[in-house]
Amino acid sequence: MDRRDFIRVCTAVALTSPSLLTDVLLAKGSGFKPYRKALLVNREGKPLRPEEVLPSKEYIFFYPYRSTPCLLINLGKEVGPVKVKTKEGDTYLWQGGVGPARSIVAFSAICTHQLSHPTPSQTFINYYPEGKIAKAVRRDRVIQCCAHMSAFDPARGGEVIEGPAPFPLTAIVLSYEEGKIYALGTLGREVYEDFFDVFRPDLRKLYGSSRRARELVDVCKVMSMEEYTKEIVRC
Amino acid sequence: MGEMSRRDLFKLAGAGVLIGSVYSVGYTKPVKSPGRMLPPPKGNRVVIVGGGWAGVTAAKYIKKEMPRAEVVLIEKRKIFMSCPISNVWLGGLVEMDFLMHDYHTPASKYGYTFINATVLDIDRAKRRVYTNEGYVDYDYLILAPGIGYNYDAWFKGDREMARYCGTHFPSAFIPGSEHIALKRKVHNFEEGTFVLVVPPPPHRCPPAPYERAAMIAYVFKKNRVKGKLIILDPKKDIKPKGPGFRNAYVELYGDLVEYVPNAKIKEVDPVKKVIRTTAGDFKFDDANLNPPHRAGDLAWKADLVNPKTGWCDVDPLTLQSKKDPRVFVAGDASSVKGFPKSGDMAHNHTQTMVVKALVALMKGKDPKEAVRAPTNTCYSMVNGDPKEAIVINVIYDIDRKKGTVVKKKVNVENRRSKQLATATFEWARALYRDMFS
Repeated sequence: MDRRDFIRVCTAVALTSPSLLTDVLLAKGSGFKPYRKALLVNREGKPLRPEEVLPSKEYIFFYPYRSTPCLLINLGKEVGPVKVKTKEGDTYLWQGGVGPARSIVAFSAICTHQLSHPTPSQTFINYYPEGKIAKAVRRDRVIQCCAHMSAFDPARGGEVIEGPAPFPLTAIVLSYEEGKIYALGTLGREVYEDFFDVFRPDLRKLYGSSRRARELVDVCKVMSMEEYTKEIVRC
Repeated sequence: MGEMSRRDLFKLAGAGVLIGSVYSVGYTKPVKSPGRMLPPPKGNRVVIVGGGWAGVTAAKYIKKEMPRAEVVLIEKRKIFMSCPISNVWLGGLVEMDFLMHDYHTPASKYGYTFINATVLDIDRAKRRVYTNEGYVDYDYLILAPGIGYNYDAWFKGDREMARYCGTHFPSAFIPGSEHIALKRKVHNFEEGTFVLVVPPPPHRCPPAPYERAAMIAYVFKKNRVKGKLIILDPKKDIKPKGPGFRNAYVELYGDLVEYVPNAKIKEVDPVKKVIRTTAGDFKFDDANLNPPHRAGDLAWKADLVNPKTGWCDVDPLTLQSKKDPRVFVAGDASSVKGFPKSGDMAHNHTQTMVVKALVALMKGKDPKEAVRAPTNTCYSMVNGDPKEAIVINVIYDIDRKKGTVVKKKVNVENRRSKQLATATFEWARALYRDMFS
């Protein structure tokens, strides 16, 4: 999927606001980056159905590399396209939710501040669904990292709400086609190169080698966060 | 050396001549003069003095934001030891290598020059930093000398007594040997009274003395020490995270900890082991005696300290010295209203304010417009088994009209928890990897 195709995807959801598309074209260095088109599957390996993504929970999958974690979230209501603002004043268009209710979104689960991310032993960066208040930012429906209290808005393309994170979470661009959910690529600044560099020993331990950790995926197994990690640290 | 001043000495040294040190016994020992270490700067050289949290952060982020800048970091230590988390290490909850980091990896990765030398003097008129290895000229200076101990406040210039106190009862607010000595004291203590003196504000890491007290109490409890830990605090109450610390002392350590507020120091006698305070006199068997803090010695040598406060006056947005706009004072030595002197604060304000302002200045832009509001997060471990912590998080905002920084939001979690203890370690690991990997 190239940039033009991506804009078509956006067009499908952003027809009411054509001016936003101009922003996509104007976006510099923070646009859509296509990776392998990957099917999201459930624990049984069958295509993940949107109704399996519960608004009250957080889910994890790995994309675009087999070692790079992402949060899958059902925000419980339709989420339209958003012009994402960075702290530097740049903007880019985020597509909004997918699925029948256009409520399913995904973001890289690597904090853009200092790369905290879920591991099999613990996770410090989490989605706080409706009714579960993230104490530092004092609200729900938010992604918060407990390492240094950066908070991101999943309904606004991963924008930084507060905290030291210098830029939004990398958004994972999803598509919903004939009842199936696919990951297509990323949107916004990535931190993957730093991630691979800094966590080399950990990735070797988990995946056998740095090279294997960098393998691109075309199928993503979706798990609940509780299934994946031993300790979910909330704050 | 007769009447020759150190600066005169460096003048000679700069000319590249051989000099001799004349000793009273009447012979001359030839030494090679310390000359220029780097070619003259070309307008974008930033010399950073001090490789603590602020200095290391500055070096990395200047190179990231302005790769063509020439960045030189000068630090006297051969290895970095973290003061944050050192209390957790004191309690035996992490190994020493958790605190230790190398200077070479980030210098190599981000492309700055690391000079392992001791700074002897700073000549701001010449824009020159003198070290024991030679001198370096700068276009801009980031001074990050950390803190110094003001033993004069206790011993009125009696250097022998100050040395005695520092040797026998090390403060351990400046990383290194002192920390190891304190740990040995704490773990060897079997009975009697152990006193911890809280320095008066402002001091490095406001919650650190209270966290340290909790970790000492944890060790005493584990070792079944027959005695008590007395905390002498010049303030009227514990701050910050007061309820969290108080509850920990009472609920976890009971009679082991005695907290004494309003205990302003009147006299310290480290020989007789007596402390006279406004809350009474206290005899002790062993102690962690923390004198008042002030800006590190190099800030005084550079004549950048306000003698009334003991800290460097800076612009609250850019952290440029009010005495010299080519000098930025980063980290604990600077004085900004509302900024605690802590590792995370140093890391944050250096990244979002000092570096942003300096890079803007070098690019001919308005430094004040370039700065961003910092944040500060500080975890404190209060229990070792199970590990439990409390936390404070401050979000700042910038008032550009007034040219100041204001606290926008303060979140405190005084209910200690295992989850916050787990987060404490990630807080540190994340900062270490940002600075050193």
